[in-house]
Amino acid sequence: MIDFHTHPLLVREMVHRHPELERAAREIFHIGNNFQPLETFLLELDVSGLEQAVVMPIDCERTRGLPIWTNEQIAELCEMTDRLIGFASVDPLRPDALERLDRAVNDLGLRGLKLDPPLQGFRPDDKSVYPLYERAAELEIPVVVHTGMSWEPGTRLADGNPMALEPVAADFPELKLVLTHLGWPWVREAVALALKYPNITLDTAALYHDNPRDFIAHVMNGIVPLTVFERSLRHQIVFGSNYPRVEIKNMARAVRELGFSDGALDLIFRRNAEKLLGNGK
Amino acid sequence: MIIKLERIEIQTRRDMEMVDVTEHVERVVAESGVRNGIVNVMTLHTSSGLLVTEGLECLERDVLAHLERLAPKDGNYWHMRYLDIDGRLGFNAGDHLKSILGGISCFFPIEDGRIVKGSRQRVYFVEYDGPLARTFVVQVMGE
Repeated sequence: MIDFHTHPLLVREMVHRHPELERAAREIFHIGNNFQPLETFLLELDVSGLEQAVVMPIDCERTRGLPIWTNEQIAELCEMTDRLIGFASVDPLRPDALERLDRAVNDLGLRGLKLDPPLQGFRPDDKSVYPLYERAAELEIPVVVHTGMSWEPGTRLADGNPMALEPVAADFPELKLVLTHLGWPWVREAVALALKYPNITLDTAALYHDNPRDFIAHVMNGIVPLTVFERSLRHQIVFGSNYPRVEIKNMARAVRELGFSDGALDLIFRRNAEKLLGNGK
Repeated sequence: MIIKLERIEIQTRRDMEMVDVTEHVERVVAESGVRNGIVNVMTLHTSSGLLVTEGLECLERDVLAHLERLAPKDGNYWHMRYLDIDGRLGFNAGDHLKSILGGISCFFPIEDGRIVKGSRQRVYFVEYDGPLARTFVVQVMGE
């Protein structure tokens, strides 16, 4: 079972090796928790009943002066354990964006692309981003795009509206798009996109207030009935926690307690993620 | 007068668990050189605890279960909100309350270089919101 949405910002071994990661965590991602040994991350997966996690950087150097981890640092972390699945991040407006993605996938072994339009300062439907989508489709890697609310100061909520991804989903039907946070507060829009475009998957990392159990129930069995996810979208949802903004254990329990069938839970926690990652190909 | 303080980090492995740290405290006392005085032990975290009870697995389970009844994780708390100081969601109020109820520190007298404690008494670090690397401090004072 896989957590498809984590950021390894608190891994102490990496912060010791690369001191600038402390500033990335504190000043750019705005997470204040104590740094922890890698073992804590793996134990958090254990207590959540999960085997692996996708770890994602955000290439926001152009807009913030410092990336939230580099692709090389993600690859370095993934060499420490086979339980972490590294994704790349590339600023689409970099002149060498395509070369960076090629290197991340072909040389560093990273298995997906993370984009965060509000933090990276671009519109996801901007045609200047299209070459990167095209290359991701050629590489057959999933592209995780931040949708929904952004906490980081300086970001604009409107840049997280999932509707901006409609042209991308339509123009690149082979591109595996993963929209984060169920698009909250644009949940209906995110669900409508997934219903219409089979190349769109939604992750469950939607938690913005209250507690995981009540909030996830409100979103996945309130704003939209659970039957919609169970009957129509069970092949297009992956479990994601957004750790460390939220503990994995609490999000996993909240999703498991929603009332999904065992088959749907297996898809959400395992098989959909494996398919996106191309496991078994 | 000797005053020595040592920070000890332990890795907890579960959401809630009790970790017997008596030997850590005894070692710090032995290494301090203090023959007569006191030793204080305190956790540095507000969702963990430090307490003394009998060293039995059944009691460990009872302590955790009782505190969970008094301050359940799924309770309805003001703390369940986005904490801008931490950049994360807070919903571990029950664990903070357990820490208050169970206590965060203990002390023992030291006599002739040894901790004075009952034969059944053990010192426990108590994790209420793990797994995490946690730190507790042991301070020895005396002559």
